[in-house]
Parts: sequence; structure tokens; C-alpha cells
Amino acid sequence: MEEIVLGIGITALAGALATIAGAAEDTESDIGSQGDPNSQVQLAPQMGYIHRIFNKAISGEPPAYAAWCAIGAGVAWAFLQIGYNPALAIILGSIVAVFVQGIYCISGYLGRTASLAKFEQPVYIDIIKSLLSVTMAHAFIAIFCTVTVCYLMATVLHAQPFALPILGLLWGLALGAAGSATGNPFYGKERQYQNQNFGAGVPISASGNIVRYAEAGERSSLDNGWFTTKFAGPASGICFGLIVFLELWRTVLFETSLGGWGAIVAGIVLILIFAVINLWVEKWGRETYGPYTSEEASS
Amino acid sequence: MTVKIEASSGGMPHNTIMMYGLIVSVVCIYLTYLNQLTDTQWFAFFGGIGAIAALWWGSDTIKHLCSYGLGTGVPSAGMIAFGIGAIAMVFATKFDIATPIVAIIIAGIIGAIIGYIANSIVNMNIPVMVMSMCELAIVGALTMLGFSAMCAGSFGFNNLVVAAGSGEVIMAIIPELGVIVQSGGPLFGASVIGGSVLAVIFILGAMALQHPFNACLGPNESQDRTLMLAAEVGFLSMIAVAVMSYAFIDGLSATIALVVSLLGWYYTFTQYVALSKRDAFMWLDAKPIREVGGK
Repeated sequence: MEEIVLGIGITALAGALATIAGAAEDTESDIGSQGDPNSQVQLAPQMGYIHRIFNKAISGEPPAYAAWCAIGAGVAWAFLQIGYNPALAIILGSIVAVFVQGIYCISGYLGRTASLAKFEQPVYIDIIKSLLSVTMAHAFIAIFCTVTVCYLMATVLHAQPFALPILGLLWGLALGAAGSATGNPFYGKERQYQNQNFGAGVPISASGNIVRYAEAGERSSLDNGWFTTKFAGPASGICFGLIVFLELWRTVLFETSLGGWGAIVAGIVLILIFAVINLWVEKWGRETYGPYTSEEASS
Repeated sequence: MTVKIEASSGGMPHNTIMMYGLIVSVVCIYLTYLNQLTDTQWFAFFGGIGAIAALWWGSDTIKHLCSYGLGTGVPSAGMIAFGIGAIAMVFATKFDIATPIVAIIIAGIIGAIIGYIANSIVNMNIPVMVMSMCELAIVGALTMLGFSAMCAGSFGFNNLVVAAGSGEVIMAIIPELGVIVQSGGPLFGASVIGGSVLAVIFILGAMALQHPFNACLGPNESQDRTLMLAAEVGFLSMIAVAVMSYAFIDGLSATIALVVSLLGWYYTFTQYVALSKRDAFMWLDAKPIREVGGK
């Protein structure tokens, strides 16, 4: 019984850490403009829209965060092997990971933007100077929280046979996927296209015509972070937090039941419940709002 | 609408890059054998240099392959290369001194099969597909072998599944692997493969392989800049591997590897920034948007 209480406590702590990690990850990727919305940032100069948005061309978020979290967990694991204190080891691992992340950001921006010289897109070097520290800080929080979750799983829960580095790889992948799937639509479909009619979608003719000027002055990626922190960040955080919490919760509670199959059955039941919820939400949304009609057609 | 992929033509021919990359990589990985000959671990960093040579060649192969219109396929190409490479590399480490050669052969065979499936059965119809997948698989295998050798001090299988450590000699049998190993101290769980450090090497290499062309693609992509970025991310990965190698090899050897990788990274990074400055349309600091035509 005591073990289960401890397990539930760790589960709650890991869920809370994962929520912070998810929120920080999504805000980082929106400030850096990583993932699928970046294709529009990349396309804009080719359509004649010169902009001052951070064009952080690293692969999609899941592989990128798998890399950062794996580096963080791997270095932390190495320092744990030579007898460092866990807190210090995880911090050192996150520092090395965030250093790698920052260098990838610089090279991604410089590389893509320099290759767009034909379309007269200049390299605005102050974008790197002002935004790099912000993205690195957010990435540090995301990596530190994720590696801590992995450390709790590897040492306290003993619920799985994997070593810390591979847990970092797998949970980093999950973190990137959660942030990419949950948070990106808010940045890519909403914030980049505030100049389009709400709910109209983005017609092909508007591709690349992203918002480049702000209420006052010119829009920078920091404004995008400010905007997406309100909704997309917390939504990604809840998504990743729920994934980590429910995954550990089912393992801790049902691992020993049904001859070891209990946790797997509970996982399948959870997937079915979420499938039904998703189906219901989508049906409700489509029935309530219907297909988009322009104002002239509806009046 | 997706971004049109354009790659520069001209520059150093791809086959020349392949020859340089392959030879330097294999020679450097073999140079880690000096560790056994001299009974030290000072030469572990040669594994990292070999991995960088392979990555340098591989980024040009990715450019070659992905200029056929694989936009979002650039990062995926890095992942599949290392997926194949991991199989070939772990298998090859059983062959002692012949390890790098066996890794190249096995990776080449698996790469050719996967390239054939992608091209003829999945019908991607890219003329260079089979050859490119072969090359990428070999790059993946050599990079993982190089970084593993750098981390553990040598590329022998026993050295990768058993942590180095002094203390009393213990016999251990690892049933999953079917081998009997001899060592003192913590065994499988503290080794490069058992501690999953190989997973970190996998993702470090895969990111470093796909990043140069992914970051530099566009109409004004230039070969020297892309290849300089390949060396830069290679050294960056080597820094992370050098830090992790403190858990496996002695402090002096790991420090040598760290210093070599930091120096290499600093040089290639400054060179890359200079090349970006050369290729950029304008290099502006805190200036407003300059609309097309200079308005």
C-alpha cells in the first residue's frame, strides 16, 4: 500500500513537471517558429513578403526534442555514473543540451535566410541576438522538466527496464509531438494569418502572406510567443501532462493485476475513452458551426 | 503549397566527397586502435573525427538525394540512415579488427535493399535512390561506430556491453546477447549499449546528418557553406559525446576529446558564420523590414 501511495505521489509530481515542460516547449517552438508553421515563414520571402520572423529551420519538433532530451538525459546519466548528485547531474545535462539547441537555432536561421538571398530577404542578425536567449531559456525549462520526469521513472518507479538516456529519447519525442500537435495550429493557422477572415482557412493565394507588421512597428517572433503563451502553451502543457500522468497512473495502479496485463488493458480502455471524447467534440463542432460561409453568402 | 527544393550545382563532385569521407572515416576509426597498442585511451577522439568525416560526406549525399523534391523528407532521410546504421554497426562489432569493414558491407547491403523497396515497390522513382540509401546507411554505421569508439575507448563488442572498471574480476552472462563477458565493477547497465548511450549517439548523429542540407536549402544554397555546417554540427555532436565519455574512459583522455571537439567546433562555427555573411543578401542589425526593391 505504501508503495502505491508513493507511486501516486511520483505520478502527480511527474504530471506537474510534464505540464510545465509542454507549455515551455510549445512557447519555445512558436518563438523560434519551428515545426509546420515554419513552412509559411520560409515561403513568405519567395512570395515577396520580407519579414522579421525567426526562421528556425531544425527538423520537426518531435525529432528535435528527442535529440535535446536525449542529450540532457545522456549527459545526466554519465554524470550520475561518476557519482554526481542527481540534481546537479540533470542541470549539467540540460545545460549541454540547451547549448547544442542554441547552436542549431543559429545555424538554422543563418542557413535558411542566407539561401533566400535571391528573394532579397536580408539576414537580421538582431533577431538572433534578441530571441536566442529567450528560446534557449524556454528549451532549458522543457528539457530540465522532461529529464527530471525520466529520472523519476528510472529510479523511483522501477516500472520499466529502460536506462535514463533512452527514456529521454522516447519522452522527448512524446514532448515534441504533443507540442507540435496541440500548440502549432494556434500559431500557424491563427497568429500567422490574423489578416484573413476568421475561420476562413488559408486559401492557396494567401500562402506566404503572413502577418509581418504589428499593432505598432513590426512583428517579431517575441510577439508570437506572447500571444501563444496564453492558450497554445497551456494546451500543450495539459496534453503532455495528461500523457505522462495517465501513463504512470495506469502503470502504478494496475501493473500487478491480471498477471501483468492489467496496465495494458487499462491503457487500451483509456485510448477508447479518448477516442470517444474526440469523436464527440469533432461532431459537436461540425454540427454547431457547420462549414465556413462568407458573410455575403450567409446574409 | 510547399517550399521548392533547390540545390546548387557545381562545386566539388559528389564522388570525390564520398571517397574523402569514406577513407578519412575508416582510417580515423582504425586509429582508435592505437588505444589497444599503447595501452592508453588518449586516442579515443579519433573516433569522433571519423564520425565527422562520415557526416560530412553524408550531408552531401542527402543534398544529392533530396534535390529530387523530398522537402519534408530531409530529416527522415537522416533517421532511416541511422536506423539501418544501428543494425549494421552492432552486428559488425562482433568482428574485432575487421569491424569497420564489416559495418560498411552490412550497411551497404541493407541500404541497397531498402533503397530498392523505396524505389521500385513504393514507387518513389528517384534515379539515385538505391545508391544514396547505400551511402546513407554506411554513413550511419560509420558515424555510430566512430562515436561509440570515442565514448568507450574502442569499438569491440565486449567493450561496448561491459563497463570499464577496476575491481575484482567477475564472470557475467548476458542471456539476451548470448555472450560471456569478464570484468569488474558494474557491468551491462553501465556500458555504452546497456546504458543506452547508443540511443543518444543515434539521435545526435541523425540530427547532425540531416541538419546541414535542411538548414541551408534554398535557391542560394552553396556547397562550401553546407559542408562547413556539416563539419560544425559534427563537432557539436562530438562535444556532447566527449562529455558523456567521462563515464567510460579516464579523465585525461575524455578531456583531450573535449578540447579537440571544442576547438574544431569553434573554428568551423566562425567559418560558417563568415560564409553565411558572404552568401546573405544583406547583413542587417536592428533595421526595419526592407521591402522587395529597397522600399
